[in-house]
Amino acid sequence: MLNPNLFPYLLGLAAFLFTVGAMGVLIRRNPIVVFMCIELMLNAANLALVAYGRFLNSEEGQIFAFMVIVVAAAEVVVGLALITQIFRLGRELDVDDLSEMKE
Amino acid sequence: MNVLFAIVIALAAVSALGVVLSRQTIYSALSLVLTVGMLAVLFLLLDAQFLFAVQLIIYAGAVMVLFVFIVALLSPDDEDRPTLDLRAIIGILGVLVVTGLVFVAARNGITYNTNGFHAVAVGSGSNPYHTFSFPPNAVDNAGNVQTVAGQLFTNYILPFEITSMLLLVAAIGAVYLTRRSSE
Repeated sequence: MLNPNLFPYLLGLAAFLFTVGAMGVLIRRNPIVVFMCIELMLNAANLALVAYGRFLNSEEGQIFAFMVIVVAAAEVVVGLALITQIFRLGRELDVDDLSEMKE
Repeated sequence: MNVLFAIVIALAAVSALGVVLSRQTIYSALSLVLTVGMLAVLFLLLDAQFLFAVQLIIYAGAVMVLFVFIVALLSPDDEDRPTLDLRAIIGILGVLVVTGLVFVAARNGITYNTNGFHAVAVGSGSNPYHTFSFPPNAVDNAGNVQTVAGQLFTNYILPFEITSMLLLVAAIGAVYLTRRSSE
């Protein structure tokens, strides 16, 4: 039987992973690492969903976590395709330099 | 069991910090593999066997291999270690404050109410978490994969179909984006 007192630790870990990922998006300049940090945030959301589902006696959390994993996979495919295209244009991989969309 | 949880949670937290603080991109990727693996173990410990398999196959298997492949292909330069400027200080404060607040809120049991959930009241009123456990007839008889699939193909069939459309669009988009222009 799972110890119910573990729930705050799991939710705390989810909050920690999410905020660390958000901090990584803010302070890192390599777009590949920024994408990894976004994956970290999505994983944190998954952990919170599964933990809530487990402790609230419902399997819906796992279903939404499954959907999140699908969305994350789609996002990675498109994002890494964009990064390879930026690299092919001979640009430096630095998110602070990518400002074409602004003009 | 609690010791296992403590080890897994600690490893997940440390490897998440490794993702952000590593100077080389490949080390960030390998740290993320460890984080994803530890979350898979947590899913297993939380009786989500189906998600454990999905996490390992899709994240550790497909997504992280794609990341490592792109890192090896592009071989980006080492980045300077993130300096302790105002942005970093605000980020560290945000991490500590949000994590602490969520932990305290969850510990005091004010993050949800029990209305609307099919909870089984078996515990004492002082600890709200004692009142929750998987119904033995749902999971023990059918198993995790069957319960999840039963929900997924009945109540959640429409979102499930829409995600298949999303995957198709993402695949077409990736092919379109990475094509060589034909001028």
